[in-house]
Amino acid sequence: MSIFEYNGSAVVAMVGKNCFAIASDRRLGVQLQTIATDFQRISKIHDHLFIGLSGLATDVQTLYQRLVFRHKLYQLREERDMKPETFASLVSAILYEKRFGPYLCQPVIAGLGDDNKPFICTMDSIGAKELAKDFVVSGTASESLYGACEAMFKPDMEAEELFETISQALLSSVDRDCLSGWGGHVYVVTPNEIKERILKGRMD
Amino acid sequence: MKLDTSGFETTMPVIGFGSSSEMLDGFSSVPSFDLPRTTDFDGFQKKSVEMVKPAKGTTTLAFIFKEGVMVAADSRASMGGYISSQSVKKIIEINPYMLGTMAGGAADCQFWHRNLGIKCRLHELANKRRISVSGASKLLANMLYSYRGMGLSVGTMIAGWDETGPGLYYVDNEGGRLKGDRFSVGSGSPYAYGVLDSGYRFDMSVEEASELARRSIYHATFRDGASGGVASVYHVGPQGWKKLSGDDVGELHYHYYPVAPTTAEHEMAEAT
Repeated sequence: MSIFEYNGSAVVAMVGKNCFAIASDRRLGVQLQTIATDFQRISKIHDHLFIGLSGLATDVQTLYQRLVFRHKLYQLREERDMKPETFASLVSAILYEKRFGPYLCQPVIAGLGDDNKPFICTMDSIGAKELAKDFVVSGTASESLYGACEAMFKPDMEAEELFETISQALLSSVDRDCLSGWGGHVYVVTPNEIKERILKGRMD
Repeated sequence: MKLDTSGFETTMPVIGFGSSSEMLDGFSSVPSFDLPRTTDFDGFQKKSVEMVKPAKGTTTLAFIFKEGVMVAADSRASMGGYISSQSVKKIIEINPYMLGTMAGGAADCQFWHRNLGIKCRLHELANKRRISVSGASKLLANMLYSYRGMGLSVGTMIAGWDETGPGLYYVDNEGGRLKGDRFSVGSGSPYAYGVLDSGYRFDMSVEEASELARRSIYHATFRDGASGGVASVYHVGPQGWKKLSGDDVGELHYHYYPVAPTTAEHEMAEAT
C-alpha cells in the first residue's frame, strides 16, 4: 500500500444554494489496524471557511497548524477574514514550496465567498488546484465517492437536503473501503450558522 | 497420424470395477494441473504468488469446549483497500459433520475443501465408516504439502465430531498441521485471540460459547480493516454441525455499545 493509504481517509465537499457541506470519515489507522475512531480531519479556518485534509495523518495535523498560523497573521495585518479563493491560492503556494519533499496530503477547501456564494476546491499534494461547481472528493475512498456523488448530486439543494445527500454519499462510499469509515463528521454551513453533526456508520 | 486426445482427459480419475486403484487405500492420485510454458518459470511463479496475495485478510476462529466445537468467521473479501464483497461464505460445509474455514485465497480454499469432501466420501464408501477429523486433516495437509512453494494461499481449520469426540486441526499452505483446542486465523486473529483467550472456559454452555465466538469476531472486525460484514457462528455437536447465527457486525456494534442520546443535538454557532 502506498504512503497515502497508510492512515486511510475520506473527505468530500458539496455545493448547495448559498450554502456548502463538508464531510469526512473518523478513522485513524495504521495500515489495516484501527487506532482511533474520532480523528478530526476537517478544521475551521474562520466562520465561512473550512479545510478538510486527507492523507498522512501527521501531515494533516502539521499542515493545518501552519495554515491557521498564516491565516491569523493575515487577520492581524488586514483586519478581516481571508476570502476562500485567496486561501486556496495560499494553500497551493505552501504545498508547492515543498515540491521536492511534499506534504503527503490532499486538501479539500470549502467556503462562502462574496455575496455568500459557495466555493469549493481540491488540490493534489503539490498544490494543483481543481475548482468545481458541484462536488470535490479526496482520500482512499475517492473513486467510490466520485461515483456516489455523481449519482446523488443535484444543483441548488437547501441545507437539510444537502446534509442528507452528502451523508448518504459518504457512508455508502466508505462502506466499500477497508481503510476509511467508522463513523462520519459533517459540517453544513449557511450564511447564518454552522451545523456540525456526527454520523452513525458501520464500525467495521 | 496420432490424434491429440488430451482434451478427453479429466482430472477426476475413473475407478474401474474390481481394480485395486490407489484411491481405495487413502493415497489418492493428485489432480493433475497443466503447468505454464514460459521461458522464465520461476519468475512467472513469483509474479503469480504476489498476485494471489497471501495476506489472508479475514478473521476466522474455532475452539473446542464441553459441548463440541464452535466455529465462527467474518464475511468480508478485500482486494488491497477495496472491499469486493461483504457476504462471502467463509465456513465451508465439507460434509454434515465436518466444517472447514476459509482464510487466504478464496479459490484455493473452495477448491481444496471440495476436493477434501470428495476424498472423505470415497473413504466412507471404501471403509464403510466415516473418516476421522484427524484423517481428513491429514489428507488435506499432505495434498497442500505437495504443492508447497507454488503459491497456494490456504489457512484453514478443520473442525468436526468423530468417534473420539470433537476434533480441531489447523492446516496451512506450507503443509503445516496442528492439533489444538483454540485457533484463530487471518489478519484479524490477534484481536480475536484477545477476546477469545480472556473469555474462554472449557465448561461453557452452547449459548455462552456462541456469544464468546460472536463477540470475538465483532471485536476483530472493529479493529481490523480487512474484516467485516456478517459474523457467522456454527456449532459442531455429536449430531453434526448447525448454523447458530449470522449477525451483521454494523448492527452488533450498536447492540454492544448503544449510543446514548445527548441533550444538545447540534452545535450552532452564530456567524457575524
